Amino acid sequence: MNIHLKTAVDYIKRAPFQALAAVFVLALTFFVATILSILVYSSGKIIRYFETRPQVIAFLKDGASPEQITALQNHLSIDGRIKGVKYVSKEEALSIYKEATKDNPLLSELVSPSIFPASLEFSLNDLNYAEDIIEEVKKEAVVDQVGFTANLGSESSVGNVVSRLRTITLYLRLGGGILVGVLGVTSFLVLTVIIGMRMTTRRGEVEILNLIGASPGFIRSPIIVEALIYSLVGVAVGWLTSLVIILYLTPSVVNYFGEIPILPRDTVGFLLLFGAILGGELLAGTALALLGSMLAVTRVKRGR
Amino acid sequence: MIKFKNVTKKYGDIAALSNISFEIEKGEFVFITGPSGAGKTTLIKLILREIFPDSGEIIFDGINLSHTPEKEIPEIRRKIGTVFQDFKVLPERTLRENVEVALAVCGINREEWKERVDKILELVGLSERAELFPSQLAGGELQRASLARALVVNPKLLMADEPTGNLDWDTSDGIMRLFEKINKEGKTIIMATHNREIIAKLNKRVIALKDGKLTKS
Repeated sequence: MNIHLKTAVDYIKRAPFQALAAVFVLALTFFVATILSILVYSSGKIIRYFETRPQVIAFLKDGASPEQITALQNHLSIDGRIKGVKYVSKEEALSIYKEATKDNPLLSELVSPSIFPASLEFSLNDLNYAEDIIEEVKKEAVVDQVGFTANLGSESSVGNVVSRLRTITLYLRLGGGILVGVLGVTSFLVLTVIIGMRMTTRRGEVEILNLIGASPGFIRSPIIVEALIYSLVGVAVGWLTSLVIILYLTPSVVNYFGEIPILPRDTVGFLLLFGAILGGELLAGTALALLGSMLAVTRVKRGR
Repeated sequence: MIKFKNVTKKYGDIAALSNISFEIEKGEFVFITGPSGAGKTTLIKLILREIFPDSGEIIFDGINLSHTPEKEIPEIRRKIGTVFQDFKVLPERTLRENVEVALAVCGINREEWKERVDKILELVGLSERAELFPSQLAGGELQRASLARALVVNPKLLMADEPTGNLDWDTSDGIMRLFEKINKEGKTIIMATHNREIIAKLNKRVIALKDGKLTKS
């Protein structure tokens, strides 16, 4: 075993409760950070899901010729504010209606394709454009009516849903960020205090090492290694705990949200997401350990 | 190897060393002697650059220690093996680990450690004690452990500050024979001691100090 690693492990064994305190606080920080990262990811996915639903439907007049419809479709497709322009014929509209009312066949028996207007459905890159675009499309000769998609729950439109989701996500990011920040600072302070205590108890050893020609880097190394052990174990425990909890909850959560892809459905995607979070946390943990140990070493040296 | 040129060191108004000048050649065995407070330990601390002289110059191995920047001090200390009166061994490491630390400090390849440590522990007669902790060793053994740590890195200079100060006569005699053997192999040794019997027995050069002044060199 590397001499610095051995020294660090020996010191951890000698003061196990200090080590536990450091690991516990760090694990809590990274547990919350992992859960928050997943919540931010999922809320982003929910917003994107609603944003990419057809938001505007331009119902076409019965007399609109295929050329006129194609011309309007092309015109809309090249508009930078609009995406996913799709033509829905009368027959397709009927089959959508039948699918939606399949639990009550009586409703679909009473209708024929002729009562459903053909339409052009499209989404918006930004919901702020909605009002202008609707006004513009209404003026088109082949367009009879323009509307937002149907109500969702108590919301009046998809725009309101997205707007509310955006607000929730903002609060989630702000609140979560503050919580993780507070926990991060706490972890940093606990780490600094423990490393500072370690430096104080090592004073005799440091003096001897100095006299036999150890460089400052050699003397600092076990301290930094010890801080890194606390941080990396904290990251591993926090990340693994949240992974186990999320894996346990995933079936019910995915089932509840239905087709909204709040978590990657394939194993590779799921592992990539958690891998990215782990990578970020390892970097943060390393930075925390390096900063904490450097600060503690500097403070103890200054105090001599 | 070492040159002191008009070196003065004061602690407040008290002069620990006053205008000291002497030279020690490579391969010499020199006793620094004098009563308590004569300045022996101050002299050793100056060579180790634990403290700065107030005036004068100290040249070690061609390097002027009075002008050496802080960051180069560890490198100088690695060229000097020091045996301390209070041993200064790491209490929570075994004897083998104490010696290995010196090798690690000097950046010696790990593959060489075992051979070098075994050899040096055999030289100081502690092969059987290698896995014991300092608390399990006697005073003489600790002094030899300190000597083993100093020697294992093959330093240019071996310094000892009262290495027999805490030891009985038989143990002291054993330690001194060891130093003599090491000196015969060509190592420069500076030993601070006030033990006249040892000085008389070895019949080596003596630098005597009294009240910080050189009385014999």
